[in-house]
Amino acid sequence: MDNENGETIKAMTGRERVLAALRNEPTDRTPVCNPTSVATVELMDLVDAPFPEANREPELMARLAATGYTELGFDTIMPVFTIIQESSALGCKIQWEQKDNWPTVKMREPIWEDVDDISIPNDFLTHPDIQCVLEAIKILKKEYGDEVAVIGKTMGPWSLGYHCFGVEPFLLLSLDDPGKTKLALDRMKEATVQFGIAQIEAGADALTLPDHATGDLVSGEYYQRYLRDLHIEFVDRIPIPLILHICGRTVDRMEFIAQTGMAAFHYDSKNEPQESMEIVQKRIALVGNINNPETLFAKEPEDVRAEVVKNLDAGVPLIGPECAIPLQTTIENLQEIPKAVQEWHRDHT
Amino acid sequence: MPSIVNIGRRVELVPIDTHFHDITIALYLEELDACTVFRIHTYSRKDGASGRIQEVANSMHVLGGMSEFSNGKIFFPCGANHEAACRRVFLEACKIPPNTPTEPRPLHTLDKKSKLMMTVDSLGSGSYRVTSDGEGRGAERRVSAVAGGLMKLGEMNAGPENDSNTVSFACGQSHDALVGLLLVRAPNVRVIMREEEASTSRGVLSAPSQQI
Repeated sequence: MDNENGETIKAMTGRERVLAALRNEPTDRTPVCNPTSVATVELMDLVDAPFPEANREPELMARLAATGYTELGFDTIMPVFTIIQESSALGCKIQWEQKDNWPTVKMREPIWEDVDDISIPNDFLTHPDIQCVLEAIKILKKEYGDEVAVIGKTMGPWSLGYHCFGVEPFLLLSLDDPGKTKLALDRMKEATVQFGIAQIEAGADALTLPDHATGDLVSGEYYQRYLRDLHIEFVDRIPIPLILHICGRTVDRMEFIAQTGMAAFHYDSKNEPQESMEIVQKRIALVGNINNPETLFAKEPEDVRAEVVKNLDAGVPLIGPECAIPLQTTIENLQEIPKAVQEWHRDHT
Repeated sequence: MPSIVNIGRRVELVPIDTHFHDITIALYLEELDACTVFRIHTYSRKDGASGRIQEVANSMHVLGGMSEFSNGKIFFPCGANHEAACRRVFLEACKIPPNTPTEPRPLHTLDKKSKLMMTVDSLGSGSYRVTSDGEGRGAERRVSAVAGGLMKLGEMNAGPENDSNTVSFACGQSHDALVGLLLVRAPNVRVIMREEEASTSRGVLSAPSQQI
């Protein structure tokens, strides 16, 4: 089979395709990848695995996650729908919400006030909300591991800082006391590493690492100062392809992100695919960019297709939504992503 | 084996049906040659789910004056789209608990702002005129506001020039039951807009930095 570059490539499984793209190797076609959740309320009904239970019971978590492959046709399965599993295990209070909404950390009730308060509990990895993820990955690996890439997720220390200290106190700390902030990140990173390695042992093929130094609150200079070296360290300590996720406009830090050695950067629709590709220059793969709140949630399949094509035309090596999709997203819009990728390749070979 | 079905374009969603095991119920639209067909659908396989879908269809039949095919398919007798109006009928039908008798809404309603009774009369050919039991500029303003509400909710057309109290359906057919249902909400469309905004922002994950 010839790909769009004229290279002859044998037909690949979804897993082979995703892992090759993450290694910057040729693929038979561009993989469709969801580094974050593609769960919807309709898919929850389809497999009888609703929120919030599907975030707390491994069988339900695995069943709902599998629909990303079995029903939507993605090349990945990603069971860690939320961004709060670790924070729950660290002791944060969680608002678990209902079927139609995301669980959130009660950040107005922070668990830590000072760097010296930071402590990773001894039972962190055996906490039910951590174990749920690990068990779900084992189930998915056993059932689909030969076909698709199973992607896990471990939250970075900047995100954990928001959750455990509160957003405002953590940002103020970073302004007032860079030394203490670095110490805090250094202590919290152990949770990231522990959970990441546990997911590798459970069978994850790659890990998303969200670290919400988002474009609206944190500058590119901040990323360089506080996070670039930490992210380089994660690449060394977590031996699996890592997909860094940061929301918002991030072109001002993409150069630094490309220096980390991460396998991919999960990027937001606020960044143009072409300008982003020009910055990272194949040092790191890009994935994401299909807009959630406007396009996937509120527009039509032809609009989704247009964004997919824009990414493919720019040479983005993995295609997928920009972040966890809204829970009320239509199934037809999600199905359009792999459909558009396949048709683009048919037209370009 | 569960599977996705291709049943048209989804136009409305009730993510949690509190009257039946929190299932999700959706309204899909399919354009056929001669008419627009709406389909009420759930992916839930819980026992009794199909019965719940039929109940919603029955309620839409009564509340919106719609006609039924089978399997949750429903359409307006005129065959026209009337998508916005159908969405309202669907949302109202989903609010009705099971085994509750459903009646068409009357063509009059109390406007809470003015305390006036607003009445809608059919003029034939899909046209309706709004009147009130009050007089003066305040009453006139409220009548126009209610007519404007009907236009917005039902995607109806304005009446002839200098007549802000008359509205009409583009299909040229009467829809008395539908107008009765829309009339309940027509005096305060802003509430509906706010409800829709709240509904669309729910279930959208924001970064921790935006959850302050």
